[in-house]
Amino acid sequence: MSQSHQRRLPVWALRANGGVVLLFLYAPIILLVIFSFSASRIPGQWGGFTTEWYTTLFDDSRLQRTISVSVRVALVSTLIATVLGTMAALALERFTFRGRRVFDALLYLPIIIPDVTMAVMMLMFFSQSFNVVDAVFGLGLSKGFGTIVVSHVAFNIAFVSVVVRARIAGMNATLEQAASDLYASRWQAFRYVTLPLIAPGVFGGALLALTLSLDDVVVTQFVAGPGSTTLPVYVFSLIRKGVTPTINSVSVIMLVASLILVAGSVALQRANASRGRQQLQTSGGTS
Amino acid sequence: MKLGAAELKREREERRRGFFLALPSFAYMLLFFVLPLVIVLIYSFATRTSTGSTALSDWNLDAYRKLGEPIVRNVVVRSVVLALVTTVICLVVAYPFAWFCAHQRPTVRNVLLIAVMIPFWTNFLVRNYAWRILLSKGGPISTFTEAIGLGEVDILFTKTAVVIGLVYAYLPFMILPLYASIDRLDQRLIEAGRDLYGSGPQTFRRIILPLTMPGVIAGSILVFVPSMGAYVTPELLGGGKETMLGSYIVTQFLTARNWPVGASLSFVLMAVMLISTVIYFRSGGRNL
Amino acid sequence: MNEITESQDQRSAAVSLRGISKLFDDVTAVDSVDLDIGDSEFFALLGPSGCGKTTTLRMIAGLEIPSAGSLQIFGEEVGSLPPNKRPVNTVFQNYALFPHMSVVDNVAFGLKMRKIPKSEISTRVHEAISLVRMTGMEDRRPNQLSGGQQQRVALARALVNRPKVLLLDEPLAALDLKLRQEMQFELKQLQREVGITFVFVTHDQEEALALSDRIGVMNDGRLLQVGTPEEMYDAPIDRFVADFIGRSNFLKATLESAEVVCLANGQRIRVPQVDAVSVGDEVQVSLRPERVMIGDLDSAPHDSAQLSGTVETETFLGNSVVYRVALDWMTIEVEADHRPDVERYHAGDRVDLWWRDDAVAVVRP
Repeated sequence: MSQSHQRRLPVWALRANGGVVLLFLYAPIILLVIFSFSASRIPGQWGGFTTEWYTTLFDDSRLQRTISVSVRVALVSTLIATVLGTMAALALERFTFRGRRVFDALLYLPIIIPDVTMAVMMLMFFSQSFNVVDAVFGLGLSKGFGTIVVSHVAFNIAFVSVVVRARIAGMNATLEQAASDLYASRWQAFRYVTLPLIAPGVFGGALLALTLSLDDVVVTQFVAGPGSTTLPVYVFSLIRKGVTPTINSVSVIMLVASLILVAGSVALQRANASRGRQQLQTSGGTS
Repeated sequence: MKLGAAELKREREERRRGFFLALPSFAYMLLFFVLPLVIVLIYSFATRTSTGSTALSDWNLDAYRKLGEPIVRNVVVRSVVLALVTTVICLVVAYPFAWFCAHQRPTVRNVLLIAVMIPFWTNFLVRNYAWRILLSKGGPISTFTEAIGLGEVDILFTKTAVVIGLVYAYLPFMILPLYASIDRLDQRLIEAGRDLYGSGPQTFRRIILPLTMPGVIAGSILVFVPSMGAYVTPELLGGGKETMLGSYIVTQFLTARNWPVGASLSFVLMAVMLISTVIYFRSGGRNL
Repeated sequence: MNEITESQDQRSAAVSLRGISKLFDDVTAVDSVDLDIGDSEFFALLGPSGCGKTTTLRMIAGLEIPSAGSLQIFGEEVGSLPPNKRPVNTVFQNYALFPHMSVVDNVAFGLKMRKIPKSEISTRVHEAISLVRMTGMEDRRPNQLSGGQQQRVALARALVNRPKVLLLDEPLAALDLKLRQEMQFELKQLQREVGITFVFVTHDQEEALALSDRIGVMNDGRLLQVGTPEEMYDAPIDRFVADFIGRSNFLKATLESAEVVCLANGQRIRVPQVDAVSVGDEVQVSLRPERVMIGDLDSAPHDSAQLSGTVETETFLGNSVVYRVALDWMTIEVEADHRPDVERYHAGDRVDLWWRDDAVAVVRP
């Protein structure tokens, strides 16, 4: 193998490229963390070590409000999207029903649709439907927490269902039949056999949904109300006004939050992989 | 015939179970995804009144005709060019990297792949912001180039900065599908190719590249489509000067209040996405 | 006489299928099967893949609902009941052990679902585990067990529920040859010990012959013949059965009377009495290679069937030699013992063949 490399592309070139890619991927993140401790008032210039920009965060009540909105939006929308997405995944993988093919195709759209288009869709939908609701019921609805959650769920159902479907597809359907052969009702078979086995997939889907919800700027910016901005939208507007050292420290906090989620998902993937291997072995030596 | 009825009944029950299981999410998607999509489509044929509101009458194709006007055309051309440049750079950088990954020991390979995945999972806004700091006047990169005698680098708020940001954001999308298709390559085919063609470049062009084409196409689409629709990156690194399709659409809604044009452009963007997806499936890819 | 047989049948029929059919969309998977499986019987459903044997088993288990017919277990109509309401349990092809549960939890699953008191569950589970000789492995996960051990757990998991009938879907297919032979013996032993009806599905004729009290051969959704292993081998009534179980030569013939057929070359031979076909029908005479004698006409009974031909090829198999002998109207395979006192022939030799009248079976073509 290495011989053919030498005649085509030298190994050192491949290694160098690998090193450059990793440097390119990580240097910005690492430098950002370093400069968040810089005492200089100009972000990106070193002026000695300080934790001042972190302590000022605790005094910023606007920031704390947006963090709280972000977390609540993420938790609520993830919960709803996980339940709905898992149900959709089960229905699509284990059942046939009228409209199945349409539903299947529909669930791929939110994944490939550009988020600007999604944002436009949600904005127009809410302004239209609020007009209708106002005209018919006399209810003056306005954009805010609810509209953000509804929008996040709308794109997250698809992501959750893709992750969960992969897990269900890898699970032998005979196991459910075995459960019902052993006197389990439909519900018991789901509760004691299906659910424990797809749980890693469900958690994986939930983590993805949580990440996407915490990450979203564009859709949220379109559907947020005046008093209910999320952290990324707030930070985005701050950056556009001009960078400040505080944004560095907020960014690092967002970074740490997402790294915790990554660690969780990597750990889950590992558990998944070893489980998967186990299952393969369990049904190993098949005809 | 009693049993035939029982068979039918159980089949119907199964279908009903499946339907009710799918119903909540199906209904949700119809109400909060399909209906919004339809509304956008309707709006794209509507007219903007002089006051900035939208008249839902007098249906026409004006909003689509706008695509031919110089301002919009410039935005579209710039988006396509920047997205293409981004895609090509990603491809050139990612291919050898994916190849390198695929030929490592399993442990090293996993570490490398996770290393690629982690930035993808970290906050998108933060990743763009980091480049804003790096590229800023008197920032780390400038300081470095001045120190080694290359002079100041002042590329923030240029097309170059936007492309750097886009490459940074979507490089993992290129690496992962490429890795998947390279990993599937049958080593014996390469050896046979070297046996028959002899030279490395020829083996690459005639055997390896065609066989990894699904990965190349998938990665290119995964980079090209979101680059076309990018909004945050051109805003932060292009400083609003280097407007791309995504940011232009946002402006139509949040500033210019020209909803029909924004709606029609959203549809164009979606058309690009759908066509790309069809190309992908035609080229023998299975899932995105 | 008739009445007694009938009442006996009724008492002993563990599983009774009457006109059972199963259609998947427009494809007939099982076509009007009638079958009675006796109490405590070890019954094999044998056939090639896609013949409908597994579908038949799944209908008994309740995993499929028959499209038509009647399905009774110990006289009770169960055709439309779901699997969890039937007194049968299944050992699935790849065992389908729950990977997230230990051996004990796997075995206890059925009892827990039926809300059996905890103390009783514990006793019965340990009984079942020791019955399949898995004591000491209680806390292992399925992935920590070998194929043979997984099979035992699957057996314990089914038997602990004291089913009236145990269904086994290709129970030995996933094991390697040596283990398979060992498990065959154990399975037989186990069935005697627990004394309930075992119905198993297999595509392996040797397995069916070695294990079962009776065999039913299926092809294309139809049940062709049911009988003891000896009956199936000695007196097949269908060409497919004769071909599927063991090897056979098929000689074209016409049935002239209940005990005489006219071969395609015009020669008349005596055959065992035939009921399955009527006089004048085109039939085939199934002639097992090892039942054809070669040479030495002196020891042939006076009026035995005789043919002569030329050895085309010889294949040495260790304990025997297989000759392909060309007659002027067909080629016949003959298997002769390989012993010092048996004469050896070679390609080109003229040989005489003969067989006893009861060595053949007349089968439907």
